[in-house]
Amino acid sequence: MEDAPQFVAEPAAGFNRPLLLSAGRDRFGWALGHLGRAVLGLITGTSVLAVVLIFVFIVREAWPFFAQRSLAEAFGSTQWYPQAAAGQEQFGMLALIVGSLYVTAGALVLAVPLGILTAVVLSDIVPFGLRQAIKPVVELLAAIPSVAFGFFAVKVLAPFMQTHLGFTTGANILNSSLVLAVMAIPTIVSVAEDSLWAVGRDLREASFACGATRAETLVKVVIPAAHNGILAAIVLGMMRAIGETMLVWMASGNAAQIPSPWWDLSQSVRTMTATIAGEMGETPQGSIQRHALFAVGLILLVFSLGLNLLTETLLRRAKTGKGDRR
Amino acid sequence: MRTRLRQIANTLFTLAALASVVLVVAALVGILLPMIWRGSGAVAFQGTVEFRRMQIEQLGRGDRKALQEEMEQANRLRDQAWGMLDRFAAAMDPSDLVTRVRQLHREFSTQIDNRDLRRDQTTQLKSLSRSLRDKLLAAMDTQDTSAATANLDEVLSHAEDGPLRGTVAAGYFDAARHYRDAISGVDLARRDQYVEPYRQVRSAVEALLGPRPGKPLPALVMQRYGATRWDQAREHLANVLWAREWVADGPGRPLRQVAVPREQQFAGTELAGLFPLMRDNAAGMLLPRWTFYWQYFIDDSLSGHYFGGVGPEVIGTLLITVLAILFAMPIGVITAGYLIECAGDGPLTRLLRMCINTLAGVPSIVFGLFGLAFFVIYLLPKLGAPQGSSIVSGAMTLALLVLPVVIRASEEAIRSVPSSYREASLALGASRLHCFVTVTLPAAMPGILTGLILSMSRAAGETAPILFTAAVAMGPVPSSLLEPTRTLSYSSYDMAVGDRMAAMAPHNQYGMVMTLVGIVLLLNIVAIVLRGRMARKLRGQ
Repeated sequence: MEDAPQFVAEPAAGFNRPLLLSAGRDRFGWALGHLGRAVLGLITGTSVLAVVLIFVFIVREAWPFFAQRSLAEAFGSTQWYPQAAAGQEQFGMLALIVGSLYVTAGALVLAVPLGILTAVVLSDIVPFGLRQAIKPVVELLAAIPSVAFGFFAVKVLAPFMQTHLGFTTGANILNSSLVLAVMAIPTIVSVAEDSLWAVGRDLREASFACGATRAETLVKVVIPAAHNGILAAIVLGMMRAIGETMLVWMASGNAAQIPSPWWDLSQSVRTMTATIAGEMGETPQGSIQRHALFAVGLILLVFSLGLNLLTETLLRRAKTGKGDRR
Repeated sequence: MRTRLRQIANTLFTLAALASVVLVVAALVGILLPMIWRGSGAVAFQGTVEFRRMQIEQLGRGDRKALQEEMEQANRLRDQAWGMLDRFAAAMDPSDLVTRVRQLHREFSTQIDNRDLRRDQTTQLKSLSRSLRDKLLAAMDTQDTSAATANLDEVLSHAEDGPLRGTVAAGYFDAARHYRDAISGVDLARRDQYVEPYRQVRSAVEALLGPRPGKPLPALVMQRYGATRWDQAREHLANVLWAREWVADGPGRPLRQVAVPREQQFAGTELAGLFPLMRDNAAGMLLPRWTFYWQYFIDDSLSGHYFGGVGPEVIGTLLITVLAILFAMPIGVITAGYLIECAGDGPLTRLLRMCINTLAGVPSIVFGLFGLAFFVIYLLPKLGAPQGSSIVSGAMTLALLVLPVVIRASEEAIRSVPSSYREASLALGASRLHCFVTVTLPAAMPGILTGLILSMSRAAGETAPILFTAAVAMGPVPSSLLEPTRTLSYSSYDMAVGDRMAAMAPHNQYGMVMTLVGIVLLLNIVAIVLRGRMARKLRGQ
C-alpha cells in the first residue's frame, strides 16, 4: 500500500480525515459490508424460522392424535366428549368446525356490505376533511382488544337480548356474529378502501363523462375494477373472524352442537378457537385430549394459511391488474 | 323519467353508504360508552364512611381523626337501628337469653354451695332458683303473649325476696324485665313467621352498615365493611326496605316476583319503626361523599376483586408488553431495513415476505398453542428455567405476534424517507450500513415509533396468546420474569365470566376492562397524532 500513489486532498472544513479511503480501508469496508449483510440476513430469517417452528411444533403435538384416531372420527362426527372415561373419549370436531363457520358466516353477512359501503364513503363520497375524521374512528374500532368486545357481548348485549328480545340465552350465534362483524369491519374497510383508491381518477372521470351518476360509476366501474382487492378484504375479514378467540369463547355459548334447524341463530355453538382456549388449561401434558386440541389448532392453522395464500394471490392480481380485463 | 329514477337511485346509494358509516361510528360509541361510563364508576363515585374506614384499616390511607368523628356521627344513628334489631331479636329469638338463664342457675347453685348455710336452706334456695328458671324458660318458649307475661310477672314478684338479695339470681329479674320489654310490642303467636324475614333484614342491614360493632370480625375482608359505595348502599337499602316474594299469577302461569314493603311485613311489631328510620337516615348512617379514587390504578385488589384496584394487572400488562416490544423491535426493524436496503426481488425475498404474511395471518390462539409447546414446555426448561408459564414466554409469544406489524410499519417508515437523503449520504462516501444507521434510520424513527406504539397496543390487548403462556387470574405480584402474572386482558375475561366474587362488584368488572381499553386507546391516539404531525412535516408545512 505504501508505494501506491497517495493523493490526499486538503481536509475540508470540519473534516479531520482525508476524504478518500485507502485501499485497505476500502477492502475492510467491503468485507464488513458483506459480513453485516449476512448477519442481517440471519436476523431477518427469524420470521421464516418462526413460521417453520410454529408448523413443526403444532404438527408435532397434533401428530399423536392423528396417529391414534381416524380422520373419519375427527371430521365425520359431532361427538366431542373429551372428558369421558379413559378409552371412551370422543373427538368429533365437526360441530366445532361448523360452529366456527356459523359465527364467521354470520359476521360476514353483516360486515361485508357495511365494510364495503364504508370504504366507498371514505374513498368517494365524503370530502377530504371528513375522511380524515372518519378514518381514526375505524382505526380505533380495530384497536379495541377482543376481550373488550367479549366483555361487551357478555355484560351488555347478552342481558339485553335475554330481557328485551326474549332470547332464552344471550350467549348465542347471533350475539357473537353481531359483535364479530363489528370486529371484522375495520379490516374490510381499510383493505377495500386502499383498492378502491388504487383504481384511480381516470376511470372515474371517464365514467362521469359518459353521464353516469356517482352510484353507477361506483357500482358498475370502480367496484368491478377493484374486485380483487375487495375480495382480498373480505377474505382478510373472514380470517379475522375465524381466528377470533376471546369474543366467541365468551359470547357463543360453548355448546358443541350443530344448530337445528339450521337457520336458528338463537342457539349456542362452540367454535374451534373457543374449544382450545377453554380446555387447554385443564389437560395434562401428553394426554390424548391435549393432542386433540393441538389437532384443532392445526386445522385452524391450515385454514388460515389457505386463506392467506388466497389473499396474497388476490392482492398480487389487484396490483398487476391481471384479471381485471374480462 | 329515467334520469329521475337514476338520480333517486344515486341518492339512495349515497344515503345507504352514509348510513353504514353512521352505523360503524355508532357501534364504536355504543361499545365504548358503557365500558368507559360504568368503568369510570370504579374511580369516581360517592364513597361512604365505610369506604374511608376500609382505606384506613386496609391500606393505611386517610385521616384517622376525621374518620373517628364521622364514625361517631354515623354511629349515633346506627345505634338506634341496631337497638331496634336487638330488641326485636330478643323477642323473636330468645336463645341468647335462654342460655343466659341456664347459666345463671348453674352459677347460683355454686354460689349457694359455697355459702355457709343450713342444708334445708340450700335445698330451698336451689328449688326456688329452679322454679324461677323453669318459669323463665317457659315464658320464652311459649307463643302465647299473656301466658308469657303471667310467667314473667310471677318471676318478678320474687324480685324483693330477701334470700336472693346480692346473689347472681338478680340476673333472672334483669332477663325477665328485658324479655317483658321485648315482647310488649310483638305478637308472639306469629313468631315463626318472622324468623326468616328477620334474618333477611338483619343480613341486609349488615351488608349496608357492616357487621354489628362489638361482634367478632368476620374472616373475609369483604364482610368486614358495609356498603363502601353509595350506589351499592342503595341496593342494600332496597333489600332492607323491600322483600322479594314469588307470587302465582294463576294456575299454570309462571311465578312472578313482586316487591313487598318490609314495613307491611313487620306491621304491628316494634321493628316496623326500623324501616322509616333506615329510609330517612341512610345517608346519615353512611355519609356518602364524592370520592376520586385514583389509586384504583395502583392498588392491589383486596378480597378477590371486591375491594381495591388493578395495580398488579397494570404492572403485569406493561411488563409483558414492553418486553414483547423489546424482543420484536430489533428483529422487526432489521428485517425491514434488510428488505429495503439489501434484498432485491429474488425468490428468497418472496419467501421471506410470504412468511411474514403467513405470520400475520396465524390466529392468535394458535400463537398461544405454539407458545405453550415451544417456549413453555420446550425452550425455557432447556435453558434451565422452571417449567410453567412465565412473563418471558408470554412476551416472546406476543413478540412473534406483533413482529409482522412492526416489520410492515418500519418498512413503510423507511420507505417514506426521501431517497435524496440516502443518495447524499452515499455520495459522501458512507457505506450502506453507515448510511442506514446514521441517516435513514433517524429520519424514519418517528414512523417506526408510531408502528411500535401501535404494536404495543395490540400486544396489550391480546389475551389468547398469553392464556397458557403467562397469565393467571389470581396470584401475587411476580418477583421475577420467570413467574406468571396477572394481566388486564385476562383478568377482564376472568372477571366477566369466571369470578363469582367479581360479579358482586360490577364496577370493578367495568373498571378492569376500562383500564385496558383506556391504555389501548391512549396508545392509539398518541400514534394517530404522531402520524398526523409526520404527514404534515412530509408535506412541508
